[in-house]
Amino acid sequence: MQKLWLLAVAFAIIGIGAYGGGLVTVPLIDHELVKTRHLLHKDEMSKIVAIAQMTPGPIAVNAATFVGFRVAGLGGALFATSIVVLPGIMILTALGYVRGWIQPNQHFLRLRRGLRAGVLSLLLFAIWCYGQVVITGLAELAIAIGAFLILTMFEGKVHPLAVIAGSGLVGLLIF
Amino acid sequence: MTFGGGFAMSTVLRHELVLKRRWLSDKEFVNTFSTATAVPGAIGVNLAFIEGRRLHGMAGAIAAAVGIVCPSVLVILLIARFGAPYFDHPTVAAFLKGSAIAVAGQIAFAAFTFARRLRRHWQNAVVCGLGLFVLGIGLHPIWAVAAAGALGYLMMRERMTPYDATDVDEGEDYK
Repeated sequence: MQKLWLLAVAFAIIGIGAYGGGLVTVPLIDHELVKTRHLLHKDEMSKIVAIAQMTPGPIAVNAATFVGFRVAGLGGALFATSIVVLPGIMILTALGYVRGWIQPNQHFLRLRRGLRAGVLSLLLFAIWCYGQVVITGLAELAIAIGAFLILTMFEGKVHPLAVIAGSGLVGLLIF
Repeated sequence: MTFGGGFAMSTVLRHELVLKRRWLSDKEFVNTFSTATAVPGAIGVNLAFIEGRRLHGMAGAIAAAVGIVCPSVLVILLIARFGAPYFDHPTVAAFLKGSAIAVAGQIAFAAFTFARRLRRHWQNAVVCGLGLFVLGIGLHPIWAVAAAGALGYLMMRERMTPYDATDVDEGEDYK
């Protein structure tokens, strides 16, 4: 089916471009699915983003499952999901093969040292972007800080998912 | 089963792998997380893949990747099939809003644990600053990561101390 092929190409591209966190992936998904291949309608796009943010898992994966399902049922969902994770996995597998000489390699180690701080910058930036979207008032800010404090003070004793669920319940009460 | 995508997922993963099950040291986790982020694709899936491979070879890698993807796939499929009416329900929306805020707190927590690990060397702060700058001017995260890696590489050049050497042995041994 031609649609399957479209699906595959779209999500392969998304899989490669899904870099630096979900927020970045959104414009890419928008471009590949809505604008160029018309696999998704514009209004559905925002619904999907909301759904993907609120459901478990990375946005790219969620989008793949959802759109795949729409286009070609269960098989389509599984197919698209597999395609979207493939690029990363292939690269990692390849890296695994050269692991023997790359691990002790000084250049690699130095690069990775730099990488770690770079990742921290990504995290901080994500907090900024995400926070702007989600924290629209004092109550929201309080909940966010509360969640952060609980996670910090009870590190290792409280499961992060419990904090999320708990915040959801708080949300129920407040909103 | 993590809401909010890759970075938030890292907190849960860290909780499970480092704190609860003690399969990994914190240092190993930070290193692996950086690699998973530097490679394209869903961070959570990549992380799962790397750790699965470390603990149980290729079979473990695949099992971990499938495992981490499964809950999301399941949930999305259910939603795609049955869920449409529920999303506009105010109670659901309130709960999800609360959860989303917690996710912001969670990403903040991830950044916190990361920074805590990196704070020993001032160079890390500089690299992080560069990353933030690159992101701030609107470039795609891959540039931030590349810049961070490059700067880190250049800066570390001066510091070939024994500390670096032991840093290599500790926790750098993948199976």
